[in-house]
Amino acid sequence: MESIDKKCTPLKREYDDCFNKWYSEKFLDGKESSDCTAFFKTYQKCLREALKEQGLTKMIDDARPAIGSVFSDMGEDK
Amino acid sequence: MRLFEATHVFKHDWETVSLANWRKYPNEQTPHVRHVEILNQDVDPVTGVLRTERLIMVRQNVPMLVRKIFGGDTSYVLEYSEVDPRKQTLVMQSQNMTYSNLLSVGEYITYTPDPENSKHTLFTQSAQLKASGALCRFANKIEDICWNRFQDNAHIGKLGLEQVVSKILAERQAMTMPLAQTASD
Repeated sequence: MESIDKKCTPLKREYDDCFNKWYSEKFLDGKESSDCTAFFKTYQKCLREALKEQGLTKMIDDARPAIGSVFSDMGEDK
Repeated sequence: MRLFEATHVFKHDWETVSLANWRKYPNEQTPHVRHVEILNQDVDPVTGVLRTERLIMVRQNVPMLVRKIFGGDTSYVLEYSEVDPRKQTLVMQSQNMTYSNLLSVGEYITYTPDPENSKHTLFTQSAQLKASGALCRFANKIEDICWNRFQDNAHIGKLGLEQVVSKILAERQAMTMPLAQTASD
């Protein structure tokens, strides 16, 4: 599946593949720590730039309380 | 306001169905789901719960009139989910962000082992559809149209998930097959 910005697509795929493997082989077996942190960071860097360019950041921040999310903001590393 | 509620039993274990949930898109059954982005994702160090926030971009084929009322056919949905691997629960909550001043769609989904058969997975879905603002006069009509659309999408969503489960099972079989052959040599 393409990312909302084509240039992020390869980074998204790398992360998705890593996550799916980690989820089925480790997370469900109780090994929690993620193997995919580095992929996530590069994907997020690209994605967050794209979200900003497409003017979606504020909309996301505004909608967050309605869905019970624990996350508090966009665009900053935790 | 209209409420959509549905339950379904997938005849596969919770681990497989919860993985299929992550691998659901892209899916030929659900071409209206164009993009799914992970916005935030981590594991709670205390509880071991996986927490995920996703942005979903949907493009529906809608009648011209609907497109005119809403000013487009592209909408964004924000979704938050928690997976507890110990309790075997997957809970997802979502809300439309686009056109939500006209029509609010909030959805709540759970996947748990079926109490009647722990090798199966019970899926529950409930959604609240509420027209407001400029559409208030036509609230009943608009909510009816959306309820029907929601029901159609829920149905194809289930078919889509079943397809992904089949794919996962086929992959697992392909992975164990060469081993089985070697063992019998």
